[in-house]
Amino acid sequence: MNFNIVWAVVVRHLYNFKHSLDRITDAFYWPAMDIFIWGFTAQYITKQANQLPQIIILLLSGVILWLVVWRAQYEITVNLLEEMWSRNLVNIFSSPLRVREWVLAVFILGLIKMFFSVGFSIFLAIILYKTNIFSLGLYLIPFIVSLTLTGWAVGLFVSGLIIRYGMRIQTFAWGGIALLSPFSGVYYPISTLPIWAQKVAMFVPTSYIFEGMRSVIFKGSMLYSDLFKSFAINAVFMIVGLLFFNLMFKKSKLRGLADLE
Amino acid sequence: MVNSILEVKNLTKTFGKVCAVDNVSFSIKEGEILGLLGPNGAGKTTTIQMLLGALTPSSGEMNFFGKEFNNNREEILNKINFCSSYISLPWKLTVNENLDVMARLYGVKNRKKRINKLTEVFDIKDFRNKAVSTLSAGQTMRVTLAKAFINFPKLILLDEPTSSLDPEIAEKVRTFLKSEQDNFKVSMLLTSHNMAEVESMCDRVIFLNKGKIIAEDTPVNLAKNIEISRVDLIVDKNIDKVLEICTENEWEVGIDKPHIKVELKEKDIPKLLTVLNEEKVVYSEISIEKPDLEDYFLEMAKRRDKK
Repeated sequence: MNFNIVWAVVVRHLYNFKHSLDRITDAFYWPAMDIFIWGFTAQYITKQANQLPQIIILLLSGVILWLVVWRAQYEITVNLLEEMWSRNLVNIFSSPLRVREWVLAVFILGLIKMFFSVGFSIFLAIILYKTNIFSLGLYLIPFIVSLTLTGWAVGLFVSGLIIRYGMRIQTFAWGGIALLSPFSGVYYPISTLPIWAQKVAMFVPTSYIFEGMRSVIFKGSMLYSDLFKSFAINAVFMIVGLLFFNLMFKKSKLRGLADLE
Repeated sequence: MVNSILEVKNLTKTFGKVCAVDNVSFSIKEGEILGLLGPNGAGKTTTIQMLLGALTPSSGEMNFFGKEFNNNREEILNKINFCSSYISLPWKLTVNENLDVMARLYGVKNRKKRINKLTEVFDIKDFRNKAVSTLSAGQTMRVTLAKAFINFPKLILLDEPTSSLDPEIAEKVRTFLKSEQDNFKVSMLLTSHNMAEVESMCDRVIFLNKGKIIAEDTPVNLAKNIEISRVDLIVDKNIDKVLEICTENEWEVGIDKPHIKVELKEKDIPKLLTVLNEEKVVYSEISIEKPDLEDYFLEMAKRRDKK
């Protein structure tokens, strides 16, 4: 065994670590997110130990509804990256395709994949845990619409960053939306968060939906004003997302789309 | 009257302090093949990227089919296409799937028929159901060429289209390009490092250097600017004498026995032959190479290096 050779391989990957945002987020960002989310969730579950049946549906509904947000943003960002990875960006944007047509296409794609992905998760939850998210009733419709809008808005914003700064920040494609997760209260009420984080959550549209989800599970209803707030903030998110993506696309063309590939 | 398909006026692109394309103006007529030549970094690919709308110019105008590009982007892009060795296609998709997507993007009617025709022309029928990732560089280039013709373009931008093709396929591609020019009056802007290809294909050539057009003419006329010809002699004896003659007359000479290559002005060739005769130098073979586009290219590169 030649230790120098072994060390050469270690050094090779340490050099890579220094230059790769992907590796750095793997090392720090995701563990931090896990600690935040599961720490708050554990605190909440400890207090609710006497309501175990609801806890299961709370967690599984949270998982499934978060999948809606994640899938909606992921389809936008990763499909943009797909074009970059395959050096196809110039091909498609030197065709008559307009930016707004591309955006609509990835929205549709997101909906199709979400339908199957979320549908499969609902099916598994029913089969494995006898937990039916349809118990949320008709509330499920505005929940899914609102969460999809958030996913799209964040997806557009992150795609704007990617098209401006290229593949070196590709980790945001799957990690960007996770920043909203602690403030969304996916698995725990917003009241579990520290005061400063609760204030941030007021501006996060998904927080109203997940609070509403818990309210529907425990009380059978939710405040319509919360739904309205969620949609209103989403409208702002969408406008900002669309304008930002458009602006970044134009800026990117100043350096050249081929430069991104 | 021949219509102008493309008119470029004062096109400029700067990246910070670097001027990649400097006040370039040119036009392409219907059915014309224009060569865009120049050393690496001359601004050829940058020009093509701007013409495709993938790179925003710093200033200047681009008019296609008499219409300004920015205000008529979709209409113009529907009538043009490109092929570049620097751009790829989604590698997980098969050849057929790739061409199908492109045909849809360009709104091609009767996609199947068009794809069948192009897969025949570019000899890609055998691997049309294979993923692009499994193809060789030459095969990928042929698929990219097929993609470039998917929408019956009126103008096609070809960035080194035969660079990774074997000679037989490259010749087939050139024949196809010429036939598109002859039969459908397709105009083309062609960059290539293969000077013989440029000479045979292009009606006119623009020579770019450091982002500026430094020459524009037919390939034959450009080559005429180079006065130096090459005389290749096969000499068995008196090689030293030939060297002496060349040194006296300040002609450049290279020896690769029994070949002697003399570089001199075309008008000096009779003088060389006379002197060789007077000095009783016997040569068994002689060939004279007149300057071609490659010589022009090399001469321009030399001048650039001297600067």
